[in-house]
Amino acid sequence: MNKLGTVIRFTYGSQIKRKSFLISTLVFALIISLLANLPSIIEMFNSDKGPDKVGYVAGDQAVLEHMQSYYTSKPEAEIEIVPVSSEEEARRLVEEKEIKGYLLASGETNVNGVPSFQYKSQDTMPTIIGKLSDGLQFANQTIARQGIGLTDDQISKLFAPVALEPVQINNAATDGDGGKTESEVMLAYILVYVLLFMLYIGVIGYGNTVATEITAEKSSRVMELLVSSVSPLTQMFGKIIGICLLGLTQIALFLAVGAANIALMGDAEFFSELNLNLSEIDPMLIVYFLIFYLLGYFIYATVFAAAGSLVSRTEEVAQVIMPVTLLIVVVFFIAFYGLQNPNAPIIVTLSYVPFFSPMLMFLRIGMSDPAVWEIWLSILLSVAGTYAMGWLAAKIYRTGVLMYGKLPSFKELRKAMKAYDM
Amino acid sequence: MQELRLERVTKQYGEKTAVNGISFTAHPGEIFGLIGANGAGKTTTMRMVLGLIYPDGGEILYGGKTYSKELKGRFGYLPEERGLYPKVKVSDQIIYLAELRGMKRSAADRALKDWLERFGVSEYYSKKVEELSKGNQQKIQFIAAVIHNPDYLILDEAFSGLDPVNVELLKSMIASLRDEGKTILFSSHRMEHVEELCQNVCILDRSNAVLQGSLRDIKAKFPKERVTLATERPMEGLERVPGVLSVTAHANGYDLRIDSEAAAQRVLKAAMETNTVTRFELKEPSLNDIFIKTIGGNRSHE
Repeated sequence: MNKLGTVIRFTYGSQIKRKSFLISTLVFALIISLLANLPSIIEMFNSDKGPDKVGYVAGDQAVLEHMQSYYTSKPEAEIEIVPVSSEEEARRLVEEKEIKGYLLASGETNVNGVPSFQYKSQDTMPTIIGKLSDGLQFANQTIARQGIGLTDDQISKLFAPVALEPVQINNAATDGDGGKTESEVMLAYILVYVLLFMLYIGVIGYGNTVATEITAEKSSRVMELLVSSVSPLTQMFGKIIGICLLGLTQIALFLAVGAANIALMGDAEFFSELNLNLSEIDPMLIVYFLIFYLLGYFIYATVFAAAGSLVSRTEEVAQVIMPVTLLIVVVFFIAFYGLQNPNAPIIVTLSYVPFFSPMLMFLRIGMSDPAVWEIWLSILLSVAGTYAMGWLAAKIYRTGVLMYGKLPSFKELRKAMKAYDM
Repeated sequence: MQELRLERVTKQYGEKTAVNGISFTAHPGEIFGLIGANGAGKTTTMRMVLGLIYPDGGEILYGGKTYSKELKGRFGYLPEERGLYPKVKVSDQIIYLAELRGMKRSAADRALKDWLERFGVSEYYSKKVEELSKGNQQKIQFIAAVIHNPDYLILDEAFSGLDPVNVELLKSMIASLRDEGKTILFSSHRMEHVEELCQNVCILDRSNAVLQGSLRDIKAKFPKERVTLATERPMEGLERVPGVLSVTAHANGYDLRIDSEAAAQRVLKAAMETNTVTRFELKEPSLNDIFIKTIGGNRSHE
């Protein structure tokens, strides 16, 4: 079938030379670089600022001192408590950005005589609140301790640290020596998260391209020439495969950009801080990603192709591919739920259903530990679904490409489909 | 042996009959004219010949054999609605289309350069189609139809949108393809083109073949009803000659419509009696007249 090769090569070649393709690739590469360097960029903005200053409107001196000593005792001072004479003064300082916000004691006190506080600032959702609460807690405990009169020894016993490390239980049958470590789970989470996004963007983006390309060929009437020289089936699959290769090229490029960034910018520190070890990535996960990416792409692309063949003008494409896009969005949201609950019954069930399986089974592989037969059953069902969808899409395509004018009704379409052999 | 034969070909779209039992044969080395008003079934007939849609009844035979996929590479098609990729270079897409018809890449490239040279537009090789004028896109479209040296050439409204110079250019190319022995199916609204190129025609009217055969036979069937007359001095009273239906004065003479050939003699006589005749011609009907008469006549019966 060298005609299939010809269609693939032409589709790939003419797409990759497009200006829009070059620009979008460049923009995406820039965004990836930006994201990869985000930790260091944030760091850069933060470094010269020093600790956040928080005002403490005149009140209980003991609490003030304990809080100050709490923050200064930390290796890296995150907060500096500054005494302020009055609330008016504090407001003025906030206006002038001298302080981030201020603590205001109210009348009520707890059993230790420590007053309740309000934190007033211009932020909608102050992120500092947790740290302030830690400081207040410390002041409260210190005051309480002094009240009870505990010895240092007793105190250290009370506050002796207890370790708690989450470990995921594996399918006992597959391997006995313990499940994924925290680093592994974390890594899998991030990887699955990123790859799910790629699957989603890839399927929607390149699926759209398939539909638009086909409609464009119809509206420019080049379709009549094509259909008269090559079988519609060859043409449709040539188009789908060509754009698939285009997508893989782009994804490979993005991955390369991402990897180069991580290697160059010394983000390794950032990863080790997050307790991640890149060498722990399971290579099988990448293999499965490729498998499920292709399955997902092909099953949706055939539907996109069929949809694109039904309309004659590119303006109408959005209208017909809307339902397909919506389906992908729904699957994507289910996948997000699954990210937290990979073993929920709905996720497990849907991971066998074509259209759902590419994202959901991949998610289960990444986040949980399905048996090998489960994975292959899902792949098999998905392949079968793609085949059935491809057959139906080809029928619709064969009929649709020579229909011009208004969108055909189901009845008209079914009737017309019977009139053609493949 | 590559004649194209249609036998009682029928195509139905739902309730509507698009083509109703058409039969004709186009021989190699011949340009067969398919004439008809818009919606008469020309394009449907051509699509059936190309195998894009299948007839509901009847048979289409290519050199005696029925349609098969292998034939795809032997068709050249110039669709009525022009279709090329606007944003793709001429060379890329023509070579692509030629490859789809079974040509080798290198051979297609050579043939394309050849054809561009014949049209005198070699510089379009690496231009995008959207950068070309409509007439020049038309040339590229024609090259797309003939580049792979097809046996059957189907030209739907080949000359629409071309200026007179380019019409002549294309006409001579079509004629030379005919002389190479290709079987050409040709449709047009412009009767003078058909008259010039085709030996045999088929006139379609609302899905039916209403008139067909060789152009000479068809013309012989219709009476000569037009006279061209030129005299030294202006003529008056021509419309009073019995049998004259109408008189149109031109800068160089008169066009008359008459009801019978006998009336022509009366006109000549009247002119000679009062004037000096510099030119007199009893014209055979043009295809245009025949077409309008046939189709208009059919309409008025309803």
